[in-house]
Amino acid sequence: MMVLKTLDVLGPQHGYGIARRIEQISGDLLAVNQGTLYPVLLKLEQEGAIASEWGASENNRKARFYRLTREGRKQLQAETKDWEQTAAIIARFFDAKAEDLP
Amino acid sequence: MRFLRRFLTRLANSAARRTQEERLREEIEGHIALQTAENLRAGLSPIEARRQAMLKFGGVEAMKQDYRAERGLLFIENLLGDLRNAGRTIRRMPGLAAVIIVSLAIGIGVNTTIFSWIQVVLFEPMPAVRGAANFLMVEPRAENGGYTGASWLEYHDLQSQVPALRDIVASQMVAFNVGETGRTERTHGQLVSGNYFSALGLKPAIGRFIRPEEAERPGTELVVVISYDYWQTRFRGAPGAVGQKLRVNERELIVVGVAPKDFQGTMVPLKFELWVPATMAPALLGGTRDLEDRSIRAFSLIGMLRPGATREEAQAEFSAAMAQLARDYPEASAGIGGEILPFWDAPRGPQRFLISGLAILQGVMLLLLLAVCGNTANLMLARGSTRQREMAVRVALGAGRWRIVSLVLSENMLLAFLGGGLGAAIAVWGTTALRVAPMIGAFPILFPTRVDEFTLAFAMLLGAACGLIFSAAPAVHLARLDPQEGLRSSSNTPPRGRVRKVLMGVEVGLAMVVLIAAALFLESFRSARQTDPRFRPEGVLLAAYDLSGRNPDEASEREFAARLLERLRSLPDVEAAAIATNVPVDLHGIPRRSFTVQGRVRTEAGQDRAISNTVTPGYFKVMGIPLLEGNDFAEMRDKTAPAQAIVNEEFVRHYLNGEDAIGRRIQRRPGSFAIIGVAGNSVYDAFGEPAQPAMYFSYRDLPEEQGEIHLRTRSGKETALTSEARAVLRDLDPMLPLYDVRTFSQHIERNLYLRRIPARMFAVLGPLLLGLAAIGIYAVVSYAVARRTREIGVRLAFGATSGRVVLQIIRENLGAITGGTAIGWVLALVISVRVMTKGGVNLPVFLGVPAILLGVATLACWIPARRASRIDPMAALRHE
Repeated sequence: MMVLKTLDVLGPQHGYGIARRIEQISGDLLAVNQGTLYPVLLKLEQEGAIASEWGASENNRKARFYRLTREGRKQLQAETKDWEQTAAIIARFFDAKAEDLP
Repeated sequence: MRFLRRFLTRLANSAARRTQEERLREEIEGHIALQTAENLRAGLSPIEARRQAMLKFGGVEAMKQDYRAERGLLFIENLLGDLRNAGRTIRRMPGLAAVIIVSLAIGIGVNTTIFSWIQVVLFEPMPAVRGAANFLMVEPRAENGGYTGASWLEYHDLQSQVPALRDIVASQMVAFNVGETGRTERTHGQLVSGNYFSALGLKPAIGRFIRPEEAERPGTELVVVISYDYWQTRFRGAPGAVGQKLRVNERELIVVGVAPKDFQGTMVPLKFELWVPATMAPALLGGTRDLEDRSIRAFSLIGMLRPGATREEAQAEFSAAMAQLARDYPEASAGIGGEILPFWDAPRGPQRFLISGLAILQGVMLLLLLAVCGNTANLMLARGSTRQREMAVRVALGAGRWRIVSLVLSENMLLAFLGGGLGAAIAVWGTTALRVAPMIGAFPILFPTRVDEFTLAFAMLLGAACGLIFSAAPAVHLARLDPQEGLRSSSNTPPRGRVRKVLMGVEVGLAMVVLIAAALFLESFRSARQTDPRFRPEGVLLAAYDLSGRNPDEASEREFAARLLERLRSLPDVEAAAIATNVPVDLHGIPRRSFTVQGRVRTEAGQDRAISNTVTPGYFKVMGIPLLEGNDFAEMRDKTAPAQAIVNEEFVRHYLNGEDAIGRRIQRRPGSFAIIGVAGNSVYDAFGEPAQPAMYFSYRDLPEEQGEIHLRTRSGKETALTSEARAVLRDLDPMLPLYDVRTFSQHIERNLYLRRIPARMFAVLGPLLLGLAAIGIYAVVSYAVARRTREIGVRLAFGATSGRVVLQIIRENLGAITGGTAIGWVLALVISVRVMTKGGVNLPVFLGVPAILLGVATLACWIPARRASRIDPMAALRHE
């Protein structure tokens, strides 16, 4: 989902860009091995959520660019909604104080 | 949906592997280059920058593995790899693989052939008729257990009185003379009820079928439906056949339609060519009273259950209906009940016999297949232990247990399916061979066996089951392997092969059971054949004539028989001649007739019945049956003597308590007969049967249209009489065919054909199984020996003679073999005592078979052992 959101916000990106972005946003809290990103990308691509093509990176290196497909966008929306719901429920649990209970 | 899409892409990726690999490599490179550039900007030295980038990226190889697992279908790729590997392994051992595949193929092929036969008899008893297995036989049955058939009037009553059955269909088999006079040909057909074709759900190939109303009024509808084969051979398949005239029993019938391909009538495996409305019976069969007389029970009935009805309901209704009929028509129906039987249990025809025989055969064959599996398991196990090292390496390199098992499985399954495929081919050949069955008696027989998708599925299922069975042991054995152990112990310290020996023992035991069964079967068959039939079939020629259709009266029938006999007896080569209505040992049986005899009071209800045969004087002389008391029948033209009968010994014992029979009177339709003689017992239905009471009547008193000519030759060459007999008949009546000419021995052989099939199969199988067991033992011993080359070399180097080595090897293996033999022997003994109640234990079989088996087993041990003992000790020690 993080990958999808990144692509949604930044538009087409290459693997390195995505990895950097995730690191930046999470404030370097999620410093996982960047390599693990690639199997995830592949899975998403095979599911049709993202598409990829070769392009040139900022410093003119050959790089593979991933972009969100329509299906991916739909998936992102659905997952966002799901997440927001889940988050809201969890939030309510944390907010609930003992005296609130009937 | 998403899952499916991913699956398909992964499947596609499995195919296009290389380009993907390339792409990943480039991507990783790109990634690391970007990270390095970033690090450089952050001020690291180039080397450090790259190192950090690599660190950050993580394990490249591990990630590649993940990536690959994600990209393709690991399971399928592994499977394909296993199969490739299995193919290579099998190619490396062509001899062994060939033995395994061929023995499996034989086992599976034979099983499939039998299965296809059982399947036909059980599930598709009538070719071309859909759902034929749902038809039930509706069989009136007399108290003495004989299935009498139904009369035409009875059939009409039953149609409305058994509501659980939808359409009851009546048919009667008839032999017609078809063609112009002088060139007539005997063709078999059925007289059928009007609903025959519609109830069977058939569609004509061309034309139409018999209409229901055409089987209502007697004798007016001159129509005939012909079989597809008949249409092809006689009319060359021309559509113009419909509407043509066919001369049947000297009546012109119009061909109205052709039955669908493969349809052969309702008495499978008999094959009929013509179907005529039952109401034509009087016209075609010389004014027979079939249609009015309730005591002429000439029709067989079949019917299909109405949806929702059960066989029990049908049985209850049928019994009630028969009881009512017995009350209404005591004359014709007293004491006749009825049974509803499934098709495969039909009292006439060979189904019933076939099914039990085939079931036994199938059981034996499955045992055989199990033995083959044991063999294969043994071979694989032996091979498996030589491959311990290979497997240990695989495990050490990280192959999981499951991967090892799947590797072994895929090898064995490949072998099993190859065997199954070849087996299916054998089954196709076998079923075709079975179809070509000879004529039995006067009726053409066609077994409608064939191989269809069910049979093939069965073959493959068997193959798969075999593969699983014989790969289980080696797979488990190898998967449990401890890699360290496996690597350390090289092949010169063999583990004790206990499992292999047990398997070998089991196999030999199985072979023992089957061989004894085969031997007992053959022995009982042979002894049945050798029992004295109490008549002399040698030197007797049989031939049939048929006056039906000429509509003869009794006087002309008698006169014809008398003149025929006179002419035949005047032939120089003929020692004796006679005519009879029935020939013993006929597949279709000899009729039983009800009677009462003077001096016997029957206490229970119903009637006495005994085998009845109508013969001319001289019959006993031709047949070589002794006349123990009294005289032969009076001459054919004798008009003064009263009606006569001759009975056999068993008749006197059973019905007259052994008292003097001569002079007593037998009452039966159409009159009263005086017993003038007592004949010896002889065989009537089958060799080895218990003595049956029988009555003989004279042709003089009861002339018949049909007759079986019996000729005893002087020279002993009965076939030489054929042309002379034909000439005599042609002289008497040029329009009459002499048919079904055969020697008595041929007659017996043909009728024993069905019984001979299993006997023959056993005769082939016994040696086959022995061979398989021998191969099994040979394989195991030679593997064991090969793996002990070094040990044997040491022994030889220390001065052991080759004889001692051989002896030792044989002794080691013979233990398991003897154990298996003993267990199999005891098992066979128990079975034989349980199953074969009569006649004790067959000693020659129970001693001879183990002797042969042990002999062959020893030989199978000896050959590889001897080869091993010839090893050059130096070469053996240098080995490895």
